[in-house]
Amino acid sequence: MAVGPQVLEAAGARSAGRLSRLREWWEQEEVFGYGLILPALALLVSLVAFPFGMAIYFSLSDYWVGSPGSFVGLANYREILSNETFRQTVRNSFVFTAVALTLKIVLGVWLAVLLARPVRFKRLIRGAILLPFVIPTALSTLGWQWMFDSLYSVVNWTAIHLGLISPPGPNWLGQATYAMIAVIVVNVWRGLPFFAITTLAGLVAVPREYYEAAEVDGASSWSRFWLVTLPLLKPVLAVVILFSTIFTFADFNIVYILTRGGPMNTTHLFATLAYQVGLNGGNLGQGSAIALFIFPLLGAVVFFQLRYIRKD
Amino acid sequence: MDQSAPRSLDRRHFLRTAAGASAGMASWLALRTPPAVAQKRELTFLSWNHFVPAADDELRRQAEVFSKANNCTVRVDTVAHLQLPAKIAAEAQSQAGHDMYRSAGADPFLYENLHANLDELVDKLGKQYGGWYPFCSQMCQTASGWKAVPWFWVSFPATYNMAHFKKAGFGDSYPKTWAELLSMGKVLKKQGNPVGIPISHCSDAHSTYWSVSWSYGAKVIEADGKTPAINSDKTAQVIEWYKELFKDAMEPEVLSWDDAGNNRFILSGKGSWIHNPVSPYNAALKEKMPIADDINHHNSPAGPAGAHSAPPALSMAIWKFSKNQELAREFIQYLFKKENYDAWIVASNAFNHPPLRHLSDHPIWAKNPKFAMLPKEAEFAHPRGWPAKPSDAVQRIDDNYVLADMVAKAVNGMPTKRAMEWAQEQVVRAVKGQLKVS
Repeated sequence: MAVGPQVLEAAGARSAGRLSRLREWWEQEEVFGYGLILPALALLVSLVAFPFGMAIYFSLSDYWVGSPGSFVGLANYREILSNETFRQTVRNSFVFTAVALTLKIVLGVWLAVLLARPVRFKRLIRGAILLPFVIPTALSTLGWQWMFDSLYSVVNWTAIHLGLISPPGPNWLGQATYAMIAVIVVNVWRGLPFFAITTLAGLVAVPREYYEAAEVDGASSWSRFWLVTLPLLKPVLAVVILFSTIFTFADFNIVYILTRGGPMNTTHLFATLAYQVGLNGGNLGQGSAIALFIFPLLGAVVFFQLRYIRKD
Repeated sequence: MDQSAPRSLDRRHFLRTAAGASAGMASWLALRTPPAVAQKRELTFLSWNHFVPAADDELRRQAEVFSKANNCTVRVDTVAHLQLPAKIAAEAQSQAGHDMYRSAGADPFLYENLHANLDELVDKLGKQYGGWYPFCSQMCQTASGWKAVPWFWVSFPATYNMAHFKKAGFGDSYPKTWAELLSMGKVLKKQGNPVGIPISHCSDAHSTYWSVSWSYGAKVIEADGKTPAINSDKTAQVIEWYKELFKDAMEPEVLSWDDAGNNRFILSGKGSWIHNPVSPYNAALKEKMPIADDINHHNSPAGPAGAHSAPPALSMAIWKFSKNQELAREFIQYLFKKENYDAWIVASNAFNHPPLRHLSDHPIWAKNPKFAMLPKEAEFAHPRGWPAKPSDAVQRIDDNYVLADMVAKAVNGMPTKRAMEWAQEQVVRAVKGQLKVS
């Protein structure tokens, strides 16, 4: 791969001196290779590793905004674990992620299969499907907030006029269960296109011959999906699920805009609680401990998922 | 003329210029003063998006006039009020950002060590305009001096729809106590016009809770600022009152409101009574909504322990890290010039109340009978946390929505005692984390 000095010699770059020696040094494989990695490495270190290290340090210290604190060991972790609000947040995060992810997988694959069919305006439809993913989350969530508004909810208005519910209808953002449903709905709405389009890419790559062979063998459309499509989609799905788990678990915008963690902290996720405690409340130590709590959980998810993908 | 002449001249010229420039730059760096051309100072001010946008326009206009007069630039940046605490925290943490900012709540206590001392300025303004209202000064005067200048406060009266009250048979009367609000509210709800107090994650929910709880003689923290006092018989009374009001006079939507929820509620024509600054009325006037005629205000209701109010009071603080502290002081003083402050009150249409007694006699409050009672609110106002001094612990109780969540838990079926115990535990945590201010 490396462009060695021989090549340059062959090209007639013979002039001796400091410059050519420098060039020779630079074009050694180990130097050049690392040189190419360096910018990315610098970015990763300064924007990921450094803040991560700082967060770990904060979480182990009595650090307040604007006033550095002393090392306190695991006191912050003990403190948050004994706090009811935090335990509630852990429960919320698991419910939120599990339900939202399941819905996204099922609906995403379904949508991808539909999109793979030859229809008119295929490009237009595929483009439109991506819209929720393209619009800035904060903006679209504000729209949803208005749709779930207690007084002017278009969702309730429609359902009441269709005779599906009796007035005044559910108080979407004010009751624990409905509020959780609301944030999950918005998360699914927003995350679905990513699922569908990525799955679609995997679907398109499935060779037609397999389907033809299955058809010859008399497989029904259901068994064609179950025995041909799904097994071949597995690697793509595994990666998408991996990404989506991380995104969903670490969601912030949707909850922050729709409910600010309310009612009664029943929709708080790790990120929103960490923001409330760490930045609004100024307790950086505890805020970091809350935020870091997802790290081992997500670490385990990544580990098992990657192992599964490799095994395949 | 040989051809090398101009070149050598150029080179000599270049060398001379370069040497001069380097020497100049070196002296500039050594003296740490910019050259005369770059001496136009820039003062940056981080404020909020005012609920009455015209007030921000007026503030920017005054900033521009000040800039021209003082050969400087004053930049006013505004962000949404809920984002301000995080932005301020980030500036405190990085010791960089704006020169001054709109502080609120316990900010002067939270960042006591990072704020410039403003004793002289506050003293001068106080003498000039008849003294500061006690609740405003309590929020800015720390043990180490004035760490902010009270800027304005926002009266938090009751806003009610007179037509709904008349229709319900109450004539011209309105609830003078929280108990009356409950009894009238029951009738009003049956009529289809419930009352509304937010029990949710928003700042209006705190303002009302503090007000009601003081009116019943309840406390959250003892005067020492350390002993939690929320688990008490008095608080139980407050919660029972909330429960009954929620069940018989309000609708569940109050559980989901943001700060604009109650504004929408009264302006939609459905609501009959809310506890809020005068912004809905101002919005109705501005949009020429017919409902403006029906809307009126009355002072915050009283309870067995009298009337008490927890109006938001805002201030201006200067960061210690600012290089423009003197200019910032001059600018603040300029904003407090009578003609400037008056113009700003008018722009806010009576929303901004002066923290100084002599500035409060502005005709705007006398001219419109619907505003006449507003300045009176200052007489029974306290900073949050009262009888304790404002502190980061009190701030944290608000930031974590402890009070609103306690009430929300109770109205959703948790036994009152259990809800108070939960809140007590949260207050203990808030106090425990108190900053060790040196």
